Amino acid sequence: MHSKIIKELPDLIKNEVISKEVALKIESYYRSKEEDTPNKLFLVFGVFGSLLIGLGLILILAHNWDQFSRAIKTIFAFLPLIIGQLFVGYSILKKKSRTWKEASGTFLFFAVGASMALVSQIYHLPGDLSSFLLTWMLLCLPVIYLLKSHVLGILHIVFATYFACESGYGYSSSGNSPWLYILMIALVLPHYYMLLKQNPKANITSLLNWFIPLSATIVLGAFVETNYSIGFLLYIILFGLFYNIGKIPFFYKQQLRRNGYIIIGSIGTIIILLWTSFTWIWEDLIREVVFFSNEFYIAIALFLGTLAVLGYSYYKKWMKEFHLFQYVFIFFSMLFFFGFSSETIPTILVNVLLFVLGLITIKIGADRFHFGVLNYGLFIITSLVVCRFFDTNMSFVIRGLLFVTVGFGFFITNYWMLKKQKQILKK
Amino acid sequence: MKTIHLFILFVLVALIQLFVPAQMIFNQENTLDEGKAYKFRTQPIDPTDPFRGKYITLRYDINAYPTTDSIWEPQQDIFVYLKTDSLGFAKIDQVSKIPLEAESEYIIAIVNVYDKYQDVLRIHLPFDRFYMKETKAKDAEIAHRKAQRDSLPNNTYALVFVKDGASVLENVFINDIPISDYVEK
Repeated sequence: MHSKIIKELPDLIKNEVISKEVALKIESYYRSKEEDTPNKLFLVFGVFGSLLIGLGLILILAHNWDQFSRAIKTIFAFLPLIIGQLFVGYSILKKKSRTWKEASGTFLFFAVGASMALVSQIYHLPGDLSSFLLTWMLLCLPVIYLLKSHVLGILHIVFATYFACESGYGYSSSGNSPWLYILMIALVLPHYYMLLKQNPKANITSLLNWFIPLSATIVLGAFVETNYSIGFLLYIILFGLFYNIGKIPFFYKQQLRRNGYIIIGSIGTIIILLWTSFTWIWEDLIREVVFFSNEFYIAIALFLGTLAVLGYSYYKKWMKEFHLFQYVFIFFSMLFFFGFSSETIPTILVNVLLFVLGLITIKIGADRFHFGVLNYGLFIITSLVVCRFFDTNMSFVIRGLLFVTVGFGFFITNYWMLKKQKQILKK
Repeated sequence: MKTIHLFILFVLVALIQLFVPAQMIFNQENTLDEGKAYKFRTQPIDPTDPFRGKYITLRYDINAYPTTDSIWEPQQDIFVYLKTDSLGFAKIDQVSKIPLEAESEYIIAIVNVYDKYQDVLRIHLPFDRFYMKETKAKDAEIAHRKAQRDSLPNNTYALVFVKDGASVLENVFINDIPISDYVEK
């Protein structure tokens, strides 16, 4: 980015946009900035190198070299671990650069896994994959804080997700809820908080802004043991929580692509609503729901948490205007618990809700001149129409007309906005 | 925090990282050195673990224990007391929910389920994985199946060292030959 600006300077001088002195000042400013920051590319390659070597090591050891004696295999179990520890110790003691710390930390992470795996092999230790992953994560957790390593933080979240899927979704598991996942994520949150406070605009922070909600979305289903219909409620509340977190000014003021919470929250809400816009879902819900189950209590806890975020935003006067998306989880929860008398009323209400959400999104897009948001709104309405296409009890003519109308809607709104934008530019 | 403090903390973490596998090794070696060896009739099948490689899962003849005591919870600890039969294979002497003052060696295992239709207690023994070289695990399963077809009854067994409730799987044999050598033949 900086080199691009520097390259443009001679052209700007030639066309007399800036003077030579200004050009010199700009150049020296960016050169001094470059010297302060470590080479990002070097950091990325360093980390990827360690990651690949570490993973490769695990795979090589997993071959199970039975021609070696137990003693030699034991030495091989400790060798990578000690090498990793020496590198990490050296980076701490000599206050080495970020690149050193991240790369050595990543290597140590996999060396710990390799060492445990090899010992398990040598002695044919029992224990399923989830307990193996848990011990591995716990052994590497302190290193995140000692090195202030962001890559280790991400690896921890990825492995916590893997652990939760293995113990919650795995066919060998007896459908146990992975409660320890919550603890694992809670243990990495102080690091995330520090990062948000010190480097809110760093790329790594925005990566975590995506990884944390994504991980929670993947894992939440593992807490649903038998009561599948409450799964819909759980997910819509979770997405409501993400949306409301994403609306906190700290996240909301950043670029949209850095705000994983609001994007996952919004798209997730729409997907669940589209799903529950079919009548047969509500017919099944009525038959299946068991109150006062494990899933039910989790739903209540999540609901209260989301309500707390919403209340806090209100208290802090962050909510300047009414956004229906923020309240969808309340509306849906009421439907879920009071809509059991018939399946028609909740179906109609969910369809209306989706339609209104689509319209509101289009309006927001139009007001802010944001083509992405405008088309997202249109996309919501299109999806709704496509879903209704599969409900066979609607006449073909009506369905056809609906499609044509929405198609025109795409053209007209985009054309209108382009025109308006050009007018403003002319002014 | 000062660098030296950080470093001292890291040394502590590094020691824990070294201690955990070392402890695992020490416990196993202790049982191998001082434990009593038992042979368990078994049947191997081969799955994969992404980090630890190929292994064979071992199903044992003594995984099912006939008993009329039906008050067992799944995942409950169970003390399995051992004896040997006339051919030298391990058999269950008795099972208990609490440790007994018995002379014989025991294993701490886990209850799978009580099968009330057959009055059988299904037990999960803690040595059900035998890690093998990746090229040999599948062959091991096939070799066992072939060995089953000969005149002898089940001639595949696991050699397990047992001491004070702990157990270490030392090797698996087909016709008294270690399974990895048997596969190579």
